[in-house]
Amino acid sequence: MISSETLHVVTTELVVGAFSVAGLSFTLCLLLHLGILKQPSWTSVFDHVAHFTLAFGLVATPFAILSGLSSAPGEGLNSPILVNKMFLSMTGFGFALGCLISRWRLGGKVWSTTKSVVLHSSSGLAAVGSMLLTASAGGTFTRGESLLDIFHLPYEQVLLFPVLVSVIGLLLGATMLVLSWKRMNSSSTVH
Amino acid sequence: MKSRFHTVFVLSLLLTCSAFGAAEPGGNGDSIQDMQCGGACHGDASINETSSAILSLSSPETIYVGIPTTLTLTATNLETSSTRLIGLFLLTDTTGHSDTPQDAGWEVLSDANGGAVNYLEQTLTPGQNETSISWVIRASTLGSTTFYAAIHHGGGDSSPFFGTTATGFEVSVEPVPENLPRLAADFTPPTLRTLDSPTELNIQTQFTDSIQFEWKSEDGLISNALVNSTGDNSWITTIPAALQPTTVQWRVILEGEGPEQTTPWFTLAAEESSWEVSENAVYLQAFALLFMIAGIVITLQIRFTSTSTPSKYDETPLILEELALTDAQPPSQELAPPPLPATGLPTDWTKAQWDAYGHDYLAGKYGGGQV
Repeated sequence: MISSETLHVVTTELVVGAFSVAGLSFTLCLLLHLGILKQPSWTSVFDHVAHFTLAFGLVATPFAILSGLSSAPGEGLNSPILVNKMFLSMTGFGFALGCLISRWRLGGKVWSTTKSVVLHSSSGLAAVGSMLLTASAGGTFTRGESLLDIFHLPYEQVLLFPVLVSVIGLLLGATMLVLSWKRMNSSSTVH
Repeated sequence: MKSRFHTVFVLSLLLTCSAFGAAEPGGNGDSIQDMQCGGACHGDASINETSSAILSLSSPETIYVGIPTTLTLTATNLETSSTRLIGLFLLTDTTGHSDTPQDAGWEVLSDANGGAVNYLEQTLTPGQNETSISWVIRASTLGSTTFYAAIHHGGGDSSPFFGTTATGFEVSVEPVPENLPRLAADFTPPTLRTLDSPTELNIQTQFTDSIQFEWKSEDGLISNALVNSTGDNSWITTIPAALQPTTVQWRVILEGEGPEQTTPWFTLAAEESSWEVSENAVYLQAFALLFMIAGIVITLQIRFTSTSTPSKYDETPLILEELALTDAQPPSQELAPPPLPATGLPTDWTKAQWDAYGHDYLAGKYGGGQV
């Protein structure tokens, strides 16, 4: 029987590994599409690698969150670091989800304009950054140290919204997702 | 060829760095661990060097089933890294798999750091090269068990070190004598308490008529506390509040019909009161962040992406196409060639040029106006 601690180590390594490759690939995509890196033959390769690894990391993320919750000592969310880990991982999940849905529904058009290129790469890199921050918070929680300690990040401070604000945010976000989905479907090639 | 050499060089460098970074110089935290932490403390066992530390285990002569006893590990000849951090294991075999006391049917009730785990970390003081720590454990079955101890630490050249006891330490568990005063079999001593408030201890015993309660702080001074009976074999006592996150140890001396018994020293660590938050609010905000961010990203992406496919009511492309066709037609196809001027063709003009651009000439666009 695998303990939740071991399962958490396995899943977090999958998430961090996949997101790290995605981050590198999105960076290269950004440089290629902005013309800073002049290797047109790499464009398609890193486009596919970035989105595949992002999708793989996204699939592993819920397992990492759930195993992390069950392996944390004590009952529930009893540390501000755990709460910040939850917020950071869900933020990264949101960035990755938005990035992948855009690429899926809009296809190669996400690379069609400079603004779109910057936005798409930025959302992918933001997802990667959030996940790496989550991993850093995990290191601080379990070992008391992390590679990112040089930045003195305020893991002990929690920005908790009032419930009403969270509810409004949730409804607003869900509405935006639904409307965006409909708009993307209406402009699809099938139509 | 040169780029391939660079690639191989960089990959080799990365692989080398992975070995240097395999250990965790900051420790892994007290926890329940198999030998080598399942590879989580010092990475792969093959990269460990052999520790020069000498480890030895000791216990009371007689151990009864179901009654807590103390197992003490003494480590000498210690050499550590600059962090002076060492990790000590209490194990029941050295296979690196299912080798904790719990796996062999023993319960760790208390450890020296105020927890109840088999892997403990300790930071030595400068110049300290030996240490001693204890675990309070309880056997659930009769028979003999062989215990081992192991150590993890760093070294001067950043290499991880590992060592174990030379031989196993065998203990035999005997049946409990009749009427022996003892702690109740299901009594589990607390290991943590909060700062700034006295700790009330409820102690359950068996075959006990009276108990004495002793506790000592980190300076070793032993104090007594008043014990009140709250029923048959049930006792209550109070330990004064801790003002700092320190540990105290306590034990009871049990008196009854059988011979007097003294329990091991149980460790009780004081920590700040636990941090609390409304979990529902956290989960709600987490999902709000997820949906908001995903929604914003997709909405902006649609806005910034050139999606030029028109709706079925939009006939703009058709009109533009017709306009393009109109613009593409040469004016000579619509207008008949103008009549020749009375003076004949302008100087250097051909008949074909006149047919095509004669109207412009007459409109004054060439050569200074109408003739």
